[in-house]
Amino acid sequence: MEIGSGVRIGPFEVFAPLQPAVSMIRQYGEHNFPGRLIVVEGIDGSGKSTQLSLLHKWLESKGYGVVFSEWNSSPLVKDTTKHGKKKKMLTPATFSLIHSTDFADRTERSILPLLKAGAVVLCDRYVYTAFARDVARGMDCKWVRELYGFAVKPAIAFYFRVPLETAIHRLLDARDGFKFYEAGMDLDLSDDSVESFRMFQSRILAEYEKMIPEFGLTVIDATLPIEVQQSQVRQIVKTHLDHAQELRERP
Amino acid sequence: MRATYGKPLPGMRLDDLGGKLVVIEGTDGAGRSTQINLLKPWLEELGHAVVDTGMTRSPLAGEGIRRAKEGNNLGRVTQSLFYATDFVDRLENEIVPALRAGFIVLTDRYIYSLMARAIVRGMNPHWIRSIYSVALKPDAIFYLRLGIDQLLPRVVFTRGFDYWESGMDLYPGHDMYDSFCSYQAALLTEFDRMSSEFNFEMVDASPDAKTVCEHLKKNILQLLERDSRKSFVARLYADSARDLTAGFDKITAAPVRTSVPPGPFPALTPVVSPASNGNGHHAFHRK
Repeated sequence: MEIGSGVRIGPFEVFAPLQPAVSMIRQYGEHNFPGRLIVVEGIDGSGKSTQLSLLHKWLESKGYGVVFSEWNSSPLVKDTTKHGKKKKMLTPATFSLIHSTDFADRTERSILPLLKAGAVVLCDRYVYTAFARDVARGMDCKWVRELYGFAVKPAIAFYFRVPLETAIHRLLDARDGFKFYEAGMDLDLSDDSVESFRMFQSRILAEYEKMIPEFGLTVIDATLPIEVQQSQVRQIVKTHLDHAQELRERP
Repeated sequence: MRATYGKPLPGMRLDDLGGKLVVIEGTDGAGRSTQINLLKPWLEELGHAVVDTGMTRSPLAGEGIRRAKEGNNLGRVTQSLFYATDFVDRLENEIVPALRAGFIVLTDRYIYSLMARAIVRGMNPHWIRSIYSVALKPDAIFYLRLGIDQLLPRVVFTRGFDYWESGMDLYPGHDMYDSFCSYQAALLTEFDRMSSEFNFEMVDASPDAKTVCEHLKKNILQLLERDSRKSFVARLYADSARDLTAGFDKITAAPVRTSVPPGPFPALTPVVSPASNGNGHHAFHRK
């Protein structure tokens, strides 16, 4: 059988036009959804989650319909990630892919539909976390960015910038030691988990610094008092939401 | 030396992958697994160590995919990436180590099926190709081709329609038959499109299994002979190089070489046997 010489496919025609899976595969799609997507980024111990939860409460008190989505929380995928981490079977490549699968599920299941419905969607960590971690693990920078090509571009991406030592002090005050992948122990940087964490996170910080101009991240000085950071965050969010006419209010 | 379709994964060495990667592709019901079940014992009888692998068999993601497919809420992007995770886990922990140990890897489907399924589901072809650019280029890709008119009776009168094989996630509201025809036709179009791009060896899958198998055996033998000639030349070359650099006494004292060291030409015969886990599947140690 010759290829390209009118190979018969059978008597059937595709009768239903294939729906593109949302027209989402645009590079960081500049979607015009009524909702607004706001994300926070930063290394562990930067205080980003604290800031996001304060923002969440404030937006709710203002009457906005707010939904929160956390990194690595897809009900369909997180068991697989947990299994891979527990058994230490993740390589840089599968670590990257399983996290993108989790993110895809949250995008398809909640982020996209909610933005269409006019919600304010808050994400604790977004694609930038993957870019920073995966590249720090040795994945190709372009490949990882392509991988997340289906992601919705956020209205604001806050980056909570903090010196490594400050973050480590905050973390070690609250607990003793780091988990295997969190400390980048899979990279054999050091046998000591704190030392490994330090080396791995400094690579991640370097990646974040590169991404500030690349993606226009909004930098917040995370060494400032919590209240000061929060008022900066609210001010920036306010200017974005004031122009958003189509947002839904909470019932 | 072996190559990937794009940049290789971090830590993946490509210079000593001496085995052979043989891909059996084709739509659902084209007889891929039947052929692999015939080819494996035949190759082993010829003295080749064989590993067979296929979709969702990864220890990492296989179970997760099966669970996700039982529900009604597996999105298309998620599905595509879940399968990519499964593939890369097998690539790194099963396929590459087996090739390094000189095995023949028979794989039931490869990236082509995965890309076809994703593209038919509306994924951007450029996007999905970029993800799978980390895959190794196989030594041979046999595409078992069967038109829908021949495919239908095989499916209907053996195992019956399956939700996913019928692409029911794509055509809600249609019955399994209509959906199956549309979905498989779309897949065939995509396979045919990829056929020249990726150099498929087109195999007419309509004759009986034995005839198809004879055809495959002939092609595989050619592939193996071609490389054994190469490795014969490599051995000659290696020997003569040693003649020139070593003293006569050293040559006579040197042990008889049974295999060609990793070099420009891969050795044909497997030298190392990875431990078997007792299930007939060969286990490789994870890092």
